[in-house]
Amino acid sequence: KEQTRDNDLNHNRDVDRIHGNGINTLDIEVIDGRYMLSGGSDGVIVIYDLENNSKKPQYTCKAICTVGRSSRHVHKFSVETVQWYPHDTGMFVSSSFDKTLKVWDTETLKPAEEFQFDGNVYCHHMCPIARKHSLVAVGTKDPKVQLCDLKSGSRIHILQGHRGEILSVRWSPRYEHILATASTDSRVRVWDVRRASGSLFTLDQHNGDKSKASSEAVNTAHNGRVNGLCFTADGLHLLTTGTDDRMRLWNSATGENTLVNYGKVVNESRKGLKFTVSRGCSPEFVFVPCGSSVAMYGLHSGQLITMLRGHYNNVDCCEFHPDYQELYSGGKDCNVLAWVPVLRQPDIEDDETNSKRGGAQAAINPAFEDAWSSDED
Amino acid sequence: MSRKRALIADTFCLTKRRRCAADSVTDGAADIRSSLQYLMTMFSRKLFNDSLPPVVLKHQLYSLHNDKTSVDKQVNELRENGELLMFQLGFDSEAFALVFAEDYRTKVLQGEAGRETLGTVEKFLAKLIPGCSDLSFNKEKMLKEFLFTDPEITQLVKSGVLTVRDAGSWWLSIPNSGKFIKYFIKGRKAVLGVVKKSKYGEILKTELEGRRTTSQVKFQMKYHIHDIMGAELVECIQTTSGTLLRYVDGNVN
Repeated sequence: KEQTRDNDLNHNRDVDRIHGNGINTLDIEVIDGRYMLSGGSDGVIVIYDLENNSKKPQYTCKAICTVGRSSRHVHKFSVETVQWYPHDTGMFVSSSFDKTLKVWDTETLKPAEEFQFDGNVYCHHMCPIARKHSLVAVGTKDPKVQLCDLKSGSRIHILQGHRGEILSVRWSPRYEHILATASTDSRVRVWDVRRASGSLFTLDQHNGDKSKASSEAVNTAHNGRVNGLCFTADGLHLLTTGTDDRMRLWNSATGENTLVNYGKVVNESRKGLKFTVSRGCSPEFVFVPCGSSVAMYGLHSGQLITMLRGHYNNVDCCEFHPDYQELYSGGKDCNVLAWVPVLRQPDIEDDETNSKRGGAQAAINPAFEDAWSSDED
Repeated sequence: MSRKRALIADTFCLTKRRRCAADSVTDGAADIRSSLQYLMTMFSRKLFNDSLPPVVLKHQLYSLHNDKTSVDKQVNELRENGELLMFQLGFDSEAFALVFAEDYRTKVLQGEAGRETLGTVEKFLAKLIPGCSDLSFNKEKMLKEFLFTDPEITQLVKSGVLTVRDAGSWWLSIPNSGKFIKYFIKGRKAVLGVVKKSKYGEILKTELEGRRTTSQVKFQMKYHIHDIMGAELVECIQTTSGTLLRYVDGNVN
């Protein structure tokens, strides 16, 4: 039987190395899945083209344009979150520790809008399915979650309830008015932004069993700061990570802790943790940056499937590309690595020729094989 | 050409899983009860003059079974049946102690024999063992549901089955368990120290089991090894020579 190559890291796919300092955030646009944004600790933002136009399997994703240190509008401190505008790639939004949120025009690479805040901006998120609103949820040092309206430029809408810094905000991919927020006060709140009153509910790791926790830990999602949020693709479940080294899977409609046990998910992040869930696989997987590797867990089984090793320093973010089932990860070593599932060579049923052909066979992905030009070229 | 589809999981983790030492991984119909009994044999009864029931920590089960979620589920089932009792020990919010209900009852009554608190304790055990699987109780529950009076609650605290949690609520506890917790924490620290001091900060599990224990380690080495493996205080790596335990930096305990 043919052996599969035993590298998880795809050596056929590279990404241009532009950042001079760590990469904090990655985002792949959802419309074509072609362009990727990255934001770094140096304040630089880069746009890459992920499409493979060469007919060779070896390919480097080129950086198309950069908002570099020489740009007048570049962020002064590290960029913590970048996100493409969900409906077209003409616009993207970035937020930074320079206390601003900038809405950029992709064509000119100049900010069309800028929002100023009082404290470091840890995260922001635009709803991927929103049709009735164009709100950006922003999490900052301030316990109040701010909602900025891209259409009107206003920012009067505030969500009150948390008692600590907001480390992560995430809109539901299922209901455009549902927002989840995670805070250093150990709580995760789920809001319906149409309601004037407070949050819909708070996630309770003990599912209401007040006897299990110590009295201060009642009604908390984690026994530490909650710094990561991720909805599953269907929006039915929500994953949270905390500095108690735990990851929890919740039913997003009821707020119930499903009690899937992932074991120790090492989490030392002082800011938000950017992790991601696969889309379109069955069963689904969670990819969590863990030190200098990316840990891969089965979503519902809780089992650690493997650790993806390849980075030279801490991994800070990862993003899943649904169309190609690929994972991109970025970290302090300034590299963006692509983890592409290596296609298994087709099993050859003919056993006698197998041992002779196995070694000599060139490993070409059949998708890239040139099936039409003639041999006389 | 066969068109076997590869599972995504397979393509992401392409190194074949090595056959590991038989005693550490059991799959299939994971029998938690027998694992618990196995772990309880490692509990040193004589150390406490037989005053404590055999105590096991929930995360020690994770070192014997792969699927943590199913271990949790089965433990909860046993608790609902009234076969198993779970306790919050207090030194770690994630460390839960497990004791078989019958063992607990026997030892508690044995300890209470001849004392004036015996009657109240018997009443408490009767309420606790078949029906209740809580870890702590607040005043309302004690007074209204269990129908205890204030002086009776004081007696329960005195006898050790309840310890104070905060004003008006109590943890369920194992009488005389203070010594157990003290020896446990000391022993865990000492065993972790052995792993840390080893060359490269790692040691084969079989070698660790064979090492002579210092005076700090009062329990059996295997008991502590299951503890540090299950609590993920060491990284367990399967090698061709067996399981390797590697010290993990950043441990608080």
